[in-house]
Parts: sequence; structure tokens; C-alpha cells
Amino acid sequence: MARPVAVDTVSAAVLPLAAVRPHPLRRFARRYPLGAAGTFLIVAMLLLGIFANRVAPYDPVAADFGAMFIRPGPGHWFGTDAFGRDVLSRLLFGARTALVIGFASSIIGATIGAVVGVISAYFGGTTDLVLQRLVDILISFPIIILAMAIVAILGSGTINLIVAIALSFIPRAERVVRASALAIRATVYVEAARAIGAGHWRIIFRHMAPNVGAPYLVMLTAFLGQAILLEASLSFLGLGVSEPTPAWGLMLRGAAVDFVQRAPWMAIFPGLAISIAVLAFNVLGDALRDALDPRLRT
Amino acid sequence: MSRYVVTRFLLMIPTLLAVAVLIFLLVRVVPGDIVELRLVSGGTYVTKDVIQAERARLGLNKPIWNQFVDWMVGLVRLDFGVSMWSGDKITHEIAIRLQLSLELAILATIIATVLAIPLGTLAAVRRGTWIDQAVQLFSVAGLAVPSFWLGILMILFLLTRGWLPPLTFTPLWQNPAANLAQLIWPALAVGYRYSAVAARMTRSAMLEVLREDYIRTAWSKGLNQPVILWRHALRNALLPVTTVIGLEFAFLIGGLVVTEQVFNLNGIGKLIVDAISHRDYTLIQGLMLLVAAGYILANFIVDIVYAWLDPRISYG
Repeated sequence: MARPVAVDTVSAAVLPLAAVRPHPLRRFARRYPLGAAGTFLIVAMLLLGIFANRVAPYDPVAADFGAMFIRPGPGHWFGTDAFGRDVLSRLLFGARTALVIGFASSIIGATIGAVVGVISAYFGGTTDLVLQRLVDILISFPIIILAMAIVAILGSGTINLIVAIALSFIPRAERVVRASALAIRATVYVEAARAIGAGHWRIIFRHMAPNVGAPYLVMLTAFLGQAILLEASLSFLGLGVSEPTPAWGLMLRGAAVDFVQRAPWMAIFPGLAISIAVLAFNVLGDALRDALDPRLRT
Repeated sequence: MSRYVVTRFLLMIPTLLAVAVLIFLLVRVVPGDIVELRLVSGGTYVTKDVIQAERARLGLNKPIWNQFVDWMVGLVRLDFGVSMWSGDKITHEIAIRLQLSLELAILATIIATVLAIPLGTLAAVRRGTWIDQAVQLFSVAGLAVPSFWLGILMILFLLTRGWLPPLTFTPLWQNPAANLAQLIWPALAVGYRYSAVAARMTRSAMLEVLREDYIRTAWSKGLNQPVILWRHALRNALLPVTTVIGLEFAFLIGGLVVTEQVFNLNGIGKLIVDAISHRDYTLIQGLMLLVAAGYILANFIVDIVYAWLDPRISYG
């Protein structure tokens, strides 16, 4: 096995280091152009959402009954809705709603799920059995139904929506992470850690948790897309964010459907925004999965 | 095989039982009294007597253990109790809507399968060409486009071509043509996502199978392409596709909920939304159990199909 070592020494000596190994981010962008495009879109959305109050040309909630159903054009680039509110401004502020709910629910759901998954895999035995049966039950509900049931109990609104979506992600995250953690538990370094007298929690958080980072990250990105879609669906059904808060799903509810022939822009732009946002997270998720965990490639 | 089916079937019972317990508890952790919440949420003034009478009618004045036993006994007799909103039997509320949703679900699954398997196969065989890229675009978009928006776009398209939304539901056996004309659009809206996921899975499964030695053997024996693709490759590639179709059942239900709302179809999905907005807790309880049971049943069917497709699986 001397050959690869020799080649590496030569190339490292001849070429400047930067040419041999470009920045990891640049390498990722070159190998996964779609993933890079997704990242670009997400960053753009984040910036537009954060600076919505500076970028948006109008107040997103101020009704102007003199300016109802204005066609897209100069003044109102994406037209106005049934209350004379500027569609573009509502879209920009809607990005804020979508991203806040998306990030909060995905991070909470994936993290709690991951911790429970690692604990379940590490302790095994009765703990694992009980946790797995509980996950079995929770997984018997389709995500949207579980989220709707939680909204039915807690009531609608932003915080409850985050809780509902996060709770529906937990059993799914648990499954994925537990599978990876089971393999890690059997590795020599975990055995070694135990042999030198490391405690349960030290092994769980210092040795096992960092090694499920890859599946965790891939899952988190997948959840983000799903969470945005879920928030839009629930808001569309009237069970999510409530008026007058600008949210993409909510913009498609009521007047957008009733007046779809008269003012199609009211229905077209919010749907495009949802699709692009979900698409961006999905392609980034796919690229991350290919880059971080080749075994999961589909 | 039959022993496997029976064992697998019996395994559903404890899961269903646990699901029923969870739903029962979930509805009882509602902060506040559900009767009070429902009656007062409309802003109306009600006396304590009215609330007491309503509690008695729904059996909520009994101790929690009694309520649980009542619910379980009812479930065994397929009696889900009465709706708090309409006062009708929940089984009746479900029965009058089940046909529509079931038909929509089956139609969407058929559309998805009929689209996905040829598309996925074609993409795998023509890997790297524009056909492959088009199919991949089709699947990536299918995962991102919300089905209710697709439904709205379809309505917009149909309205501009002079279509008028039908007001009542026509059952299949009364007038099959009218029934299909009514359900084909919502079925397409729901089925698109489904077919996108399945096409993606078919493509990657086919790519894997086409690399196998026995495919090369088939080629070198001089078999023609259709025989190799259909008899040798697709049969083996269908396994993971079946799993995905089963798992996607969850999204199918989500699709039904939003699509029925868009097309104004009075199905189970609309009933769920109405139950939640009316705070009809007894109905929510019954519907959640129905959906969970449907999901568990779908996974059971997938397992059976899986075992039937793959003789290597031992029916322990």
C-alpha cells in the first residue's frame, strides 16, 4: 500500500495546496450544482425574509379598498388582492413566516428525535423496546393528520403550529437516527470509551451523537421542505397561521380560489413561492445526502 | 404464506389498540372541558344545566375508566359514538363520505402507478439523455408543488375553457362518465406527487438492477430488450417501488384533505377539517382512528404484496 502515499507526496510537493484541495464549499458547489443552486435560493429567501420590512414596497397588512384586484404591473409588480394589499409585499413577509416556522419546527423535531434515537439505540433492552413501540404508534398517523390533531387540541397560531409540526417529525427522526446509532454503538471506539470508564451520557453525547451528524443534517434539510409545505397546507385549511399575518398558504385561501378567474395572480404567485422554497430545500437535501452519506443514495 | 398473512394480520391488533388508547388520551388532554369549549366557542351564553345535559348525553360525566371502556366496547361493535356537532352517529357521517374519498384515493394511486413505472423505467434505460432529465425534473417538481395549488391551477385552466364546477357528487354506478369527469382532476392533483416519488424510486431501483450480472447474461443470450426489461429487470425493481407506494399513503391522505377542500368535494378529508374547525372532539376521535387504521392496513397490504413479489422473504 505504498503507492497512494508516494503519489500524494509528489502532488503535494509540486502543486500548491489550494489547487489540490479546493475549499470544501467550492468543491461541493462544483460536484453538486443543483445543491449549490438550492443553497443560493435559500440564502436569497433568508435575506429577503429578514429584510422584508426594507425590501417590501408596501405594508403587507394594510388594506386599501381603492386598490382591489390591480393587475400585475408597475406600482404593484405582483398585483393586489381582494383587500387591495400588495401581493409582492405579502409574499416577502410570508417568507419570514414560512422560514421561522420551518426552521423552528424542523430543528426542534429533528433534535428531540435524534436524542431519543441515540438513547434508544445506546441503552437497548427494555428502554429501546418501550420507545420503539411508542414510535410505532405515533408513526401510524400520517404527518398532516397528527399535526391537525395537535392543532385541534392546542388551537391554531404560530407557536402551536411549530409545536404541532415538530411533534409530528419526532418519531420519524427517531427512526432514522436510531438506525445509524445502532451501527455506531457496535464500533470499537464506543467499546473503548466504555472500557476506560466513560459514563453513559459522556458516551452518548461525546462519542455517539457527533457521529450521527450526517444523517441528522440530511434529515433536517428534508424536514425543512416538508415543514414549509405542511405549514402552507395547514394555513390553507384555516388551521394554521391566522389572518392578517402574511403566510403563503393563507394567501391561497378564500378569495384566491373564489376570484381565480378574475385575479389569477393572487393564486399563482404564492403557490410559486411555496414550490420554489420547498424545491430549494429538497435539492440541497439530495446533494447533502449524496455528499455526506453515499449509502443513502437513491 | 398464509401463515405469514395471519401472523402479520394479528400483529395489527395490538398496534390498533395502542393507537385507540393514544387518541382517547389525546382528546382528554385538551385544556378545559370539551363540551364547554365547543358550546362557548361560538360566543353564545349557555347555562350550567345545558352543559351538564350535553355532558350526560355524550357520556362525559362518567369516570374516565368508564368512558374508556364504553369507547372500546363501542369500537368492537364498530360504533364510534355520536358527533358533538351534528348529533348524528359518527359511523353514519363517515359512511356517506367514504365512497368519494376511497374512489379518489384509488384513482390517484392508479394514475400514479400508471405514470410512474413507465417513466421511471424509461429514465433508467435512457440514463443521461434529455428523457432522463425530463423525468427527473418531473419528479423533483412533484415533491415541491403543493397539491392544493395544483388543484387551483387546474380549476383556473378548466374555468377558462368553460367548465363549470359540479355541485353534487355522482356515484360511479349511477353515471360512470360523469363520476370520472368529476373526480379525474382532483385525482390528478393528488396523484402527481405520488407519481413523482414512485417514478424516482423506479428509476433508481431500475438503475441498480440493470447493473446486475443476470441482466448481462440475458443480453448475451440474445434476448430482446422488452423481454429483458419486463421479465428480468422490472420484476426485481418493483420491490422498493411497492414500499414507497405504501409509505406515500400518508401523503395521499394529506393530499385528499387539501384537494377535497379546493374542489369542494364532501369527503372524509373535508369532514376532518370541518370536525377540527367545529371543535367536534368525538368526531375528531373517530376520524383519527379511521385514518390510522387505514394507514396501518395499507402498510399491511404492502407487506403482503412485498412477500408475494419476493419469494426470498421468509414468512417467519
